[in-house]
Amino acid sequence: MAKKFLLKLFVVVATLALVVAGCGNDDDDAAPEPAPAPATEAPEPEPAATEAPEPEPMATEAPMDDEVVAAFVFVGPVGDAGWTWAHDQGRRFAEEQTGATTLFVENVPEVAEDFRAVVVDFIENEGADVIFGTSFGYMDPMEELAGEYPDVVFEHASGFKMNDTNFGNFFGRMYQPRYLSGMAAGAMTETNQIGYVAAFPIPEVLRGINAFTLGAQRTNPDVEVHVNWTFTWFDPALEGDTASALLEAGADVIAMHQDSTAPGIAAQEAGARWVSYNSDMSAFAPDAYITAPVWNWGPYYARIIEAVGAGTYSPGAYWGGMDDEIVTLAPPADDVPAEVIDEVIEVWDQIVAGTWDVFTGPITDQDGNVVVAEGETMDDGAMLGMGFFVEGVVGSADPS
Amino acid sequence: MASTDADYAVWLRGIEKQFPGVIACAGADLWVRPGTIHALLGENGAGKTTMVSVLSGVYRPDGGEVWVNGQRRFFQSPADAIAAGVGMVYQEFRLVPTLTVAENIVLGAAPGLLRSAEIEERVAELSAAYGMAADPTRPVWQLSMGERQRVEILKALWRNASVLVMDEPTAVLTPGEAAELGLTLKAMAEDGRSIIYISHKLDQVVAFCDEATVLRQGKTVATVDDLDDVDLSSLAEMMVGSSGGGYVQRPPALEAGPEVLALQGISALNDRGLPALADINMTIHSGEIVGIVGVSGNGQKELAEVVTGLRQPSQGRVTFKEQDVTEASPADRYRLGLAYVPEDRIGVGLAPKMSVVDNAVVRSYRSQRRGLMLVMAKCVQFCQDLVERFGVRAGRLHDPVAGLSGGNLQRLLLGRELAEQPAVLVAAQPTRGLDVQGVAAIQSHLADQRADGVGILLISEDLDELLALSDRLLVMFEGRVVAEYGPDVTPRTVIGEAMAGQVRA
Amino acid sequence: MIRPVLARRERVVPATQAAGFVLGVVVALILGAILLWVSDHSPAEVYERMFDSAFKGTDSLSRTLERATPLALTGLSVAVAGSMGLWNIGAEGQMMAGAIVATGVAMMADGLSGPLLIALMMVSGVVGGMALMIGPALARSHLRVSEIITTLMLVYVAIRVVEWLETGPWKDPESFGFAVIEPVPEQAALPGLFGRANIGMLIALGLLLVFWLAVSRTAWGYELRLAGSSPDTARYAGVSLRRKVLTALLLSGGIAGLAGAVQLTGSAARLESGLSNGYGFAGIIVAALALMRPSGVAVVAFVFGAVQVGGQSIQTLGVSSAIADILQAMILFGALVAVVFFNYRIQWSGPGGGSSIAESGEPDLAGEVA
Repeated sequence: MAKKFLLKLFVVVATLALVVAGCGNDDDDAAPEPAPAPATEAPEPEPAATEAPEPEPMATEAPMDDEVVAAFVFVGPVGDAGWTWAHDQGRRFAEEQTGATTLFVENVPEVAEDFRAVVVDFIENEGADVIFGTSFGYMDPMEELAGEYPDVVFEHASGFKMNDTNFGNFFGRMYQPRYLSGMAAGAMTETNQIGYVAAFPIPEVLRGINAFTLGAQRTNPDVEVHVNWTFTWFDPALEGDTASALLEAGADVIAMHQDSTAPGIAAQEAGARWVSYNSDMSAFAPDAYITAPVWNWGPYYARIIEAVGAGTYSPGAYWGGMDDEIVTLAPPADDVPAEVIDEVIEVWDQIVAGTWDVFTGPITDQDGNVVVAEGETMDDGAMLGMGFFVEGVVGSADPS
Repeated sequence: MASTDADYAVWLRGIEKQFPGVIACAGADLWVRPGTIHALLGENGAGKTTMVSVLSGVYRPDGGEVWVNGQRRFFQSPADAIAAGVGMVYQEFRLVPTLTVAENIVLGAAPGLLRSAEIEERVAELSAAYGMAADPTRPVWQLSMGERQRVEILKALWRNASVLVMDEPTAVLTPGEAAELGLTLKAMAEDGRSIIYISHKLDQVVAFCDEATVLRQGKTVATVDDLDDVDLSSLAEMMVGSSGGGYVQRPPALEAGPEVLALQGISALNDRGLPALADINMTIHSGEIVGIVGVSGNGQKELAEVVTGLRQPSQGRVTFKEQDVTEASPADRYRLGLAYVPEDRIGVGLAPKMSVVDNAVVRSYRSQRRGLMLVMAKCVQFCQDLVERFGVRAGRLHDPVAGLSGGNLQRLLLGRELAEQPAVLVAAQPTRGLDVQGVAAIQSHLADQRADGVGILLISEDLDELLALSDRLLVMFEGRVVAEYGPDVTPRTVIGEAMAGQVRA
Repeated sequence: MIRPVLARRERVVPATQAAGFVLGVVVALILGAILLWVSDHSPAEVYERMFDSAFKGTDSLSRTLERATPLALTGLSVAVAGSMGLWNIGAEGQMMAGAIVATGVAMMADGLSGPLLIALMMVSGVVGGMALMIGPALARSHLRVSEIITTLMLVYVAIRVVEWLETGPWKDPESFGFAVIEPVPEQAALPGLFGRANIGMLIALGLLLVFWLAVSRTAWGYELRLAGSSPDTARYAGVSLRRKVLTALLLSGGIAGLAGAVQLTGSAARLESGLSNGYGFAGIIVAALALMRPSGVAVVAFVFGAVQVGGQSIQTLGVSSAIADILQAMILFGALVAVVFFNYRIQWSGPGGGSSIAESGEPDLAGEVA
C-alpha cells in the first residue's frame, strides 16, 4: 500500500514538474527533459494494482444477500491505541470470526445530523444489517433510527436506551479489571500516593476509581488515590499536564480514565509508573507501564453478527464482565512482583467464577459511612448510579 | 541616439499605462538631465503620479522604456528602483514614529555590524552636507513635518539615490521650511543628483526648478529647458491648455451681516491629549469669509472640529445664531445650519467604499425615510440634483465614490454641505490637491455662498487663496490667534512672520 | 519591505463573482481527484456519492438543508458583525448559550403548547446568545478590547457550563446516572417540512431576508454600513459608533443564540456539549465566503452544508476521514481563494506601494472604532 501510494505521488509530482517547466520557459531546452520520467513511471501503478488485491473491496463488490454487513460508527480516529482502536480490533476480530463484511467510519461527531448521515448511507448504499455505535452521544439518534429502520439491528455501546425489537445496548464491567490493575499499582507505589487523571464525575468513572482504590488497598493498606478531573475524554495536552501536577504533588503512580497516552508519557518523564486504560498502551511509555484494564469487544461483536445472520437477534442491555472476556487485564510489566501477580490471578479466578465481586462489603465512603455492609454485595442498579468515593480516595466525587 | 541615453539621468520614453477604464499614460516622455531640478507639471489626472510610479517600480508600464543613468531598466518592484538609485519622497511620510531619526534612515538598509553611535554620526554628516539640520537621536514623532521630510530625503540619500522624486514636497511646510528645502535641493543638484519635483505651486516651481515637463491627458505636451524664460501664467496655460482657468476675482466688499458664529475662550486638546487650542475668541458674520492661515499643525484642524462638534473643547463656549451649541452633536449643528467640508475629504467627509448616492445623503438620510425604510428613489433624486447643480462628473451613481476624481469628490462634498442652505460653512483645505479648474470652481462656489449671506470659516494653506477670498484673515500659531488682518492688502512677508509667531506691533 | 497586498477591486461584476466561486470549486475538485487517485479511490465514484448524498432525492436534499440551516444562521451572525468590521469568532459559544437558556426555559415551561413553547425557546435562544455577547460588546465599544479574543474565549466558558450542567444541576434523574440533561419536551420539536428539513430553515431564510432589507433599505442599515465602511464619516454624520458597535455585536450574538435554539429543537434531542458541532466556527467561513452579505450567506451555507454531507457520506465508501476532511477543506479553500481574487487584486506594496486610488484614506476599521 505505502509503496503504491508513494509511486502514485511520484507520478503526480513529476507531472506537475513537467507542467511547471513547460509554463516557465518556452524556448528553454529544460522542458523536454522531465518528459521521459512520467512516461516510464506511469505504467507501473498498473501492475501494482493487480498485485495487491484491494484490502477493502466493500464498495466495489455488492454484498451477497445471505452475508451480514456490519457497520461501525467510531467517535475518534482508529489510531494506534485507545477506545476507538479497541473497537476496531473488535471489528477485525468479528470479521475474521464470522466472515461478515464490516465497514466503519471514523471521527463521527456526537450530533444527530452527523451520525444520521453516516448511518443512512451505511443502510441505503452499503446494505448494512447491523449498526454498532460506539459512543454514548449516539444514543438519541440511534433510538430514532432504530424506529425508522426496523429491519436493521442497532447496538449501542455505553448507553442505556433500548427497544424490544432491534435496538440494544452493551457495555462491560470495567471495574473488575480496574480492581486488578489497582492491586498491581498498590504494590508498585513507594510514596503510597497514586494520582488518578479522571475525565468526568459520572458513575462509570467513579466506579472505576473506587474499584481501583479498593484493589490498591488490598495490596497496600496505606495507599491514597488522588483524583484530578479534566472534564474531557481526550485532550492529550490537558491530560499530560494533569498527570504532571499529580506527580509533582507526590504521586509516583498515575492511573487514568482518559483516552490519550499523555499521562503515561508524563509519568515516564518523571520516572514514575503508569496504569493505562482502554488498550494496552505499553509501547508509548514502556518504562512507566505497569498494566491496563482493557476492552475486548471482538467476541461480543461476533456473537451479535452471528445472531443477526441467523435471525435470532433479540435486543438486550448487556453488561458483561471478565467471565465474558469483554473486559480484561493487559499483561503486566516484568517488574511486578510474582506474588502480586499470583494474587491478581487468584482474584481474577474468583471474579470469573462468580464467587466474589469487587463491591463486596464492608465498604465505607470518604466520610466513613458504611455503604455496603459486611457480607453484602452491591447490586447492578447501585453500581450504575454510583455517586460517592470510597475511603482512601482524595478528591471530590461532585466537583461541580 | 545611443549617446543620448547616457546623457540623461532619467529617460522615460513613450510610457503607456492603462488602468481599468482609465488611460493614465498614453506615450508620455520625460527626460531629466543629471544635476538638475526638474519640475513635472500637470493637472490632477494628467499622469504625473503614474509616471513616477513607473520610475520607482510601483507600476510596470504597459509600453515604453525606462532608462536610468544610461541603462535600460525593467523594475519588478520598488526595491529594484531603489537599488538602481531612484529614491521617492511621498506626500505622506512613511516613517516609524517611535524610532529615532537614525533608525528610520537605516531601516531596511542597515550596514552590518555598525554600532548605533557610528550610524548616528554618519547620519549627522550626511544631513550637514546638504544643510539639513536633523538630530539623529530624536524619535520621529517629536519632529515637525518639515523635519520628517528631511528624514525622508536622508533616507533616500542613505540609499545612494542619484534620482530623487518628490511629490508635492512643500504641501506640509512653512514658507521658511519651503525655502530651506529649496536650498537643500539645489545643493543636491550641484552634487550631481537629479530631482524630479511634482507640485501644483507654480511660484515654487519657478523658484526652485531648472527645467520642466508638462503632462496633459497622459501625454507630454511641453518641455521647458530653462524655467527662467517663462512666467507663471504661461506655465499654467500649458497645463490647462487654455488660459483663464486661474483664481477667481476677489469678491466685492459687502457690508457684514449679523453675527452667526462666535467662539469664546475656546481651549481644546489634540488626539494625543496635548493642548492644541488656547483661548480662541472669534466671530463670523453672515456674508463674511474669515480666513485662517497658519502652518499646518498649529491648531487649524482642531479649530474646525471644535466648531463643527467633532471635538469637545476643554474650555469655552461655541455660540451659533445666538444659541449655545457647545454640547451639540455634529449632526445637530448641521441641522441648525452649520455645514462642514472637512480637510480629509475621503475617510471623513466621504466614505470611499460607499456609492455616490450613499455619500450624497450622509447629511440628509434622516429626511429620506418613510417609517424605518430609506426611500432609495428619494436618495437617488437628491443625489441627481446635487450632481447637476454642482457639476459633479460622477459616472454611475451606484458605484463607489472612490472612483471619482479629486475635483469631483470635492464638488460632491461641497454641494452636499451646501444643499440645505447653511448659515455657516466651515471649509478646511477645500482646494488642496485639486487641478486649476477644480480650484476655480470651488473658490467661485465659496464666493457665491458669501454673496448669499453664508458666513464662511475658510482654513487653507494657500495664502493666495486666502488673500483673494477673505474679508478677514486670522493667523494661527501654536493654538492661538496671533494676528488679524483686514481686507486691505497686507505684505506676505508680514503674514509669513506672524505664521512663524513673530507678530509686528 | 516589498510584499504583496490585496487591494479591493473597485468594481466587481456579480456574474463573474459567482463564476469565480464555481471555478474555484472545480479546480479544487480536480486537485481532489488527484488526491483520491493517489490514495486508491475512484474519483468518479467518490464524487458521484458526494453529489448523490447531498442533492439526489428529497431525503438527501433535506439532509443538506438540515445542515445549511445552522450554518446560515451562524454565517449571518458573523456577517452582521462583519458588516461593521467586527469579528465574532465566538458564535460557537453563543449557540451554546442560546441552547442553554432555551433548555432552561423549556424545563420551566414544560406544560406550554408546542408553538408557544417553541416561540418562547427561540426568544430565549436570542437572549442567551446576546447575554454571552454583552461582555465582549461592551468591552469593544467602551474599552476597545478586541472582540476577537473575548468572543473566542467565551466559547469554552459556554461549553464548560454545559458540561457542568450535564454532570451537576441539570442531570437527568432518569438517565441511570449517565451525565445527560433531560430531553427537550416532545412538543418543542420544530415541525418538519420534508425529510430532515424543518421549519428552522424557514426561520433562517426569513431572518436573512429581514437583514438584507434592514441593511440595504433602512436608515438603520445605512448607518451600519456607513459606520462599518468609514467610521469617521459616520461620526461626522452624527452616528454613534459606540451604539452601532454594541448593536451589531449584540445582534450577532443573538442570531448565533437563535442558531443554538434552532439546533436544539430541530436536530438534537437534548442540550449536550457537542450540540454546536463546529457550526459557529464554520459560520466564520460562510460569512467570509459570502463577503459578509446576507444574500451570499444563504448560497454559501447551502453549498457548505452539501460539502459537509458529501464529505461525511464518502467515508462509508471507505475513504478515510482524513482524506474526506482534506477534500472538504480543499473545496472550501478553492472557493475562498476564488472569491478573494475576484474581489481583490494583488498589489506590490513597499516603499512605493499603496498608490491605488481607492486606498487613500481608507480607515482601518478594526482599530478605529471608538
